[in-house]
Amino acid sequence: MIRYILRRILYTIPLVLGVTLITFLLFNVVGGNPVYQMLGKHASPEEIQELTHQLGLDKPLLVQYVDYLNDLVHLEFGRSWTTHQKITGMISDGLGPSLSLAIPAFLFAALLSIIISLVAAFYRNRFYDRLLVVLCVIGMSVSILVYIIAGQYYLAYVYDIFPISGYESGWAGIPFLILPALIWVGVALGGDVRFYRTVILNETSRDYVLTARAKGLSEPVVMGRHVLKNALIPIITSLAMALPGLFTGSLLLETFFGIPGLGSLSINAINDADFPVIKAMTVFGSVLYMLGNLLGDLMYSLVDPRVRME
Amino acid sequence: MRFLLLCALLLFLLLPGCSFQKKKLGNVHRDVLIAKIKGFDPADVSDLYSHICQKQVYEALYQYKYLVRPFDIEPCLAESLPTISENGLLWRIPLKKGIRFTDDPCFPEGKGRVVNARDFIYSIKRLADARTRSTGWWLFENKIEGLDEFRDATRKLKKSDSADYFSNLSGLAVLDDYTVQIRLTQPFPYFKYILTMGYTALFPHEAVDYYQEEFLNHPVGTGPYRLTEWRRSQRMVFERNLNYHHGFYPTEGEEGDRAAGLLEDAGRPLPLIDRIEFYIFMESQPMILNFLRGNLEQSGIPKDEYNNIVLPDKSLKEEYRKKGILLSRYADLDLTYTIFNFADTLMGRYKKLRQAISLAEDVKKTIELFYNGRAVEAQSPIPPGMFGYEADYKNPYRQYDPGKAKRLLAEAGFPGGKGLPELEYLTLSETTARQMGEKFVSEMAAIGIKVKLESVTWPEFLKRLKEKKCQIAGLAWAADYPDPENFLQLLYGPNEAPGENAANYKNPEYDSLYRMITVLPDGPERLTCIRRMKAIVADDCPWIFNTHRVAEGLSYQWLKNRKPLIVSPGNIKYLKIDIEQRNRSLGRE
Repeated sequence: MIRYILRRILYTIPLVLGVTLITFLLFNVVGGNPVYQMLGKHASPEEIQELTHQLGLDKPLLVQYVDYLNDLVHLEFGRSWTTHQKITGMISDGLGPSLSLAIPAFLFAALLSIIISLVAAFYRNRFYDRLLVVLCVIGMSVSILVYIIAGQYYLAYVYDIFPISGYESGWAGIPFLILPALIWVGVALGGDVRFYRTVILNETSRDYVLTARAKGLSEPVVMGRHVLKNALIPIITSLAMALPGLFTGSLLLETFFGIPGLGSLSINAINDADFPVIKAMTVFGSVLYMLGNLLGDLMYSLVDPRVRME
Repeated sequence: MRFLLLCALLLFLLLPGCSFQKKKLGNVHRDVLIAKIKGFDPADVSDLYSHICQKQVYEALYQYKYLVRPFDIEPCLAESLPTISENGLLWRIPLKKGIRFTDDPCFPEGKGRVVNARDFIYSIKRLADARTRSTGWWLFENKIEGLDEFRDATRKLKKSDSADYFSNLSGLAVLDDYTVQIRLTQPFPYFKYILTMGYTALFPHEAVDYYQEEFLNHPVGTGPYRLTEWRRSQRMVFERNLNYHHGFYPTEGEEGDRAAGLLEDAGRPLPLIDRIEFYIFMESQPMILNFLRGNLEQSGIPKDEYNNIVLPDKSLKEEYRKKGILLSRYADLDLTYTIFNFADTLMGRYKKLRQAISLAEDVKKTIELFYNGRAVEAQSPIPPGMFGYEADYKNPYRQYDPGKAKRLLAEAGFPGGKGLPELEYLTLSETTARQMGEKFVSEMAAIGIKVKLESVTWPEFLKRLKEKKCQIAGLAWAADYPDPENFLQLLYGPNEAPGENAANYKNPEYDSLYRMITVLPDGPERLTCIRRMKAIVADDCPWIFNTHRVAEGLSYQWLKNRKPLIVSPGNIKYLKIDIEQRNRSLGRE
């Protein structure tokens, strides 16, 4: 198992290198010149040249890329070119608000999706199943922006059930998180339920399910104990793949509801040509995705003893 | 869904913080920012929102009179207006005595020290230091004797080397603890306005030394407030600076100000509000909904919500009037314009092509489509309310006339657009900018000119302008100070890219006239020069003059003393809240 984990971690190195290379090229080839933004409206050619030199942007691209990798290896992300804050501090400041929205919403969405999928599978091809499928398709077809705009307008402004926007740390922040979390759940349900339902239906046609029913086990026991356990592998895969997204935040939800999370950090950095932040967020995101994948694989062996990590 | 709603409702009611909206409000002002600000370093106040936030904590020697129009200055940290020598070159400025910086850990025992004349010299020399990379250097370039030489000397220093920010220069000197002397290179009449700008705010060297790279995140000033909380993408909180005792509500205003109740607080010590909360809204819906709920004292009107709030006759809908909401309208000192890049062989060569394009662009339609009628047609670079603006002046190439445009296009050698390669219109990748671009493309197609729309991010847009790699692009400019020079310099030849003359336009006569108006006081001679400059650019057509925008804002009746000072916004120290009225209106009694 340990050898497997080490091997998987080693596999991430070329992947992270690939991601950093693409980011670097995109920034240098199609991105703007950060020097113009940093110096403002009236910069002279001499000032532009000086700052370009100071930032090392006049070095050959290969040298710049090696410098970038060197910083990466030493986990030296430096400071934002725009705000002069330490980038590690910027990420840790945004992580709490992002996770305080994402984790409860993610867990609630996962739990609810699985329950609804089991219900749908139980009523397979009957009215409730078809109704749920139709609702899921509708849910998937509607943009998250519609949920946000309608939810904020009706539930927060017209009916005054939730705050319109805002954020507080600690318990005082909970009222501000309920509406965005509900929207998160609502948006996630459509796709998740359809996927989980398909996975569960695949399992219900297996022989062991027939055997369980023949032995006289009740349907809740068949579905909950036997079918669900075997359907968990693809479900865990999809959940593990979604985990990194929790850390990088939800741009739209955070922007509309005024949650000071990580969602807008990358977008702002791109708009400001703030390369140190772009670099850090790219590496942060890609490493999280690799870890999410690894975590998914490791969990297979927990839910299915036939899976061996070799 | 009903089940979900009920669950959510139940959970919400059970929460301890469910009374968050119903608390009685004290003497707090809740306001809007629609952009995140970079920071509080006075050397880098390049955007409107940074300016508004800085204004709460920092002060300059002078400030604009809050109620008087046309714009005029009055002392802020200075004791009186400058004593200026007859030739206009030597400015002597006495400072108020006994003013203290706000308390901060950067001072011994955390107690703010007394401001003195050396703080001004320090602040200006730090801005001039090339290593500070101030975005405000252009305001001082070639204006103060010895300052450019000081800047050149700092270029040779390493980042770790210290520069002498305290010693006198030939044009910047401390005469005693409370007197500053400035010697200008030429008698710039608008220099008084520069001394009101955030770039010239005074700050203590102790704060720069203590916070170093983080100085921009820790403002230490003499202003009416101090920063107490800052969540970059969410909110900023300012509380009364207990060391602030030198500001008083103005006693003079315009005709009608007294009747409007704007002089009721005349002579009262400032600020009139204890706490300011700025909420940052990157989307317009939460901003306007929060305002309509009474969670904000004032707000702009989002373009998409305009027709829901304002009637076609430009008055406020009844339902909002009943809520005690007021609509204010005032002309911005700004200009939107489209440049033709003279560095491009095609655009720079064919004057009649530029004139044809200018005539084919229907600005009235632009105003209706994109500004909800909230703009006036621009005929020259100078906006209304500024010396040199003439309401009856008509630019011959800004009267929408597609027929004449076609004739000029033919005269340029491109009848019906034949022989003319596809042109490129550079714009930003945001929705409204793209929509404006689409309108331009269709109007040009109507006279036979093919235009390709290229939408890019802001950094890429800036890069293309600075490197002169575009043909046509849309831009806007807001006044830094209320002098026409601030707009006319946008077409001054030596200011070509990477400077602010993004059209890279060069006309020796225009440049010569520009140099004259920089030193002439407002008067007939200056007006004659400006008229000639307007005629030159109308004929050469380096720009399509688009609009001067009219700003509209919403506020509640409980917010008193509100009079927009567009040249220097963010004057919250003068505002007052009728606390009882607000709590009553919001049901928070």
